[in-house]
Amino acid sequence: MSMLQLAPTLDTANGRSVGLQRVVVALTVAVLFAGGGFLLHTEEQGQVIALLAAFVALFALGEKLPAGRRVAALCVAHPGTVNLTAAVMVLAIAAALREEHYTLLMMATVALFATAAAGLTLQMAFAGVPNFAGAAFFAVGSYVAAVLGTSGIPHLLVLVIAGLAAAVLGLLLLLPVLRTRGHYAALVTIAFGLLLRSFLEVNDVLGGPQGMKVPSFSLFGLSFSRVTEIGPYDVSFYLPYALAGCFLFALAFAVVRRLEFSFAGVALDAVRSDEVSASVFGLSIARWKATAFLMGNALIGVAGALYGMMNAFVNPNSANFGDSLIMLSILVLGGLGNLWGAVVASVVILVIPEKLQAIQEFRLVIFALLVIAILRFRPSGLMPRVTRDFSSFAKEG
Amino acid sequence: MSALLACNGLTMRFGGLTALDGVDIAVGKGETVGLVGPNGSGKTTFFNVLTGLYKPSSGAVRFAEADLFARSPQEIGRAGVARTFQRSRLMLDQTVFDNIAVGALGRLDLGLMTALVRRSRFRRQLSALVEQATALTRRFNPQIAANLFRPAGSFTMIDRRRIEICRALIGAPRLLLLDEPSAGMTHEETRQLMDDLLAFREEMPDLAIVLVEHEMDVIRRISDRCIVLNFGKKIFEGPFDALIADREVQTAYLGGGE
Repeated sequence: MSMLQLAPTLDTANGRSVGLQRVVVALTVAVLFAGGGFLLHTEEQGQVIALLAAFVALFALGEKLPAGRRVAALCVAHPGTVNLTAAVMVLAIAAALREEHYTLLMMATVALFATAAAGLTLQMAFAGVPNFAGAAFFAVGSYVAAVLGTSGIPHLLVLVIAGLAAAVLGLLLLLPVLRTRGHYAALVTIAFGLLLRSFLEVNDVLGGPQGMKVPSFSLFGLSFSRVTEIGPYDVSFYLPYALAGCFLFALAFAVVRRLEFSFAGVALDAVRSDEVSASVFGLSIARWKATAFLMGNALIGVAGALYGMMNAFVNPNSANFGDSLIMLSILVLGGLGNLWGAVVASVVILVIPEKLQAIQEFRLVIFALLVIAILRFRPSGLMPRVTRDFSSFAKEG
Repeated sequence: MSALLACNGLTMRFGGLTALDGVDIAVGKGETVGLVGPNGSGKTTFFNVLTGLYKPSSGAVRFAEADLFARSPQEIGRAGVARTFQRSRLMLDQTVFDNIAVGALGRLDLGLMTALVRRSRFRRQLSALVEQATALTRRFNPQIAANLFRPAGSFTMIDRRRIEICRALIGAPRLLLLDEPSAGMTHEETRQLMDDLLAFREEMPDLAIVLVEHEMDVIRRISDRCIVLNFGKKIFEGPFDALIADREVQTAYLGGGE
């Protein structure tokens, strides 16, 4: 079994050892994030390969060594410390790399794809509703940003509307998705993605095949593209996008996690794992699948809106099937239902091909091999979902 | 006094096959009815019709003065009918508590606002449910209560069955349908499970139970009254001793006769 699934049997009895545990957790997370930040930044092929080797080695140690497993269990037992350290590290990395356009662009991209993966997590990992049209809903968000971005509506509201629009468009799919299961539901979503793309290509109002320009995100009158300095520091205009992207991911993370650790989360798991027994215990299958599908698409749409604003551009190709598959591979590679896994997988899938020029041409081949290898050796992903344990909540209550 | 559950002329056809053929079954409050019959006689079909998984072709179902004929499983579940399944339908990778909580979801607040924002309300419900689940599982096996937050898959067959029964009971049903609780268990385990059930019935005198079982010992020990189905028809109703002596039942089980 995986390192993160081992139930922690921890001696949380005395305060000093809890403090020590938190320090260990914080250090572990900090090291991982520092490594990740360095990977985002470095251009040296040798360093990239060395970092990758180090990560693989760390993962292997965490799996094989009792001490590594214990550290992993500690991380599971102290989610608050993990989240806090992660937030601090993100801010530190952003501050340290404040002038690096490209690195910050990668950071924002990873955060926004991880946010979309959070939406897919609700759908696929919780409710068991497949969605092979992630990129299509992402593109819907971008198009909404393109159309409404210049209308004078505050951009924060545009993000919300983009999420609603993606959810509403998802409504079209709801009936066929609820009436089918497994492969068939997947086919329905694939068809929707293809249809949407063709529709965008022939629709002149939305720019046809050329697509549309998307105005830069502006927050309370401050346009992100004009940000060149903060206080005495020169910064890249991608810095605010990277921070906003990470903030969005943090929000999505909180939503997904709270949902998971609630009775609604239990209901979703019950519906996914056994529709018959869920029905007998009074759960409406349609209600829960619809809830997860609409909420998931809304998250994907919001992420897509900010992504479009960052790239300043969207075209029908954004809705292509290949990108939907990339989102799915992020989910599967990271581990269905584990959002930290989605972050790691976003880095692996989005950043590494950019960093290793040698493999650029073979990108798709390597993807395929990677996914096959994962399915063979770690069928539940790099960081599988941790069994939900309500015991800590119950004690506090 | 009218019965808690009254099925009249309940018929279920699958194409040309009549799995239930005009069955009349009544179950009173606090009564335990053993439902027996050879394989394919319609016992599980009866459960599936009663819990709404199959839509019956004709007949009438009244439960606690409400008409439950051809209602959805959700409506029937909320009306107070709970069941276990022949084959375990637990979420094996989830904790015992999560599995049992599924049975209580009907009366819990599943709203998204409670999940996302009003966390203190959620925590209160959670604490109460943990207490109930602990008390309930302790009656069946203190080991389950002590390991409420371990995955259900790490328990033995008999404990998994106990967990399933607890999941059915946590929603405080008025009618409990047990579909072959002894399936896949040893004689000793079956005996233990029966002890549990008998002890439990003492504590919940109002709970009505319908039990499908092949183990005649189980039927003898636990049921107040027996019903025998054969080819979808009720061929016998009465006490266990009369069942054993009944010619038609013997023929149904052993074949032969004329």
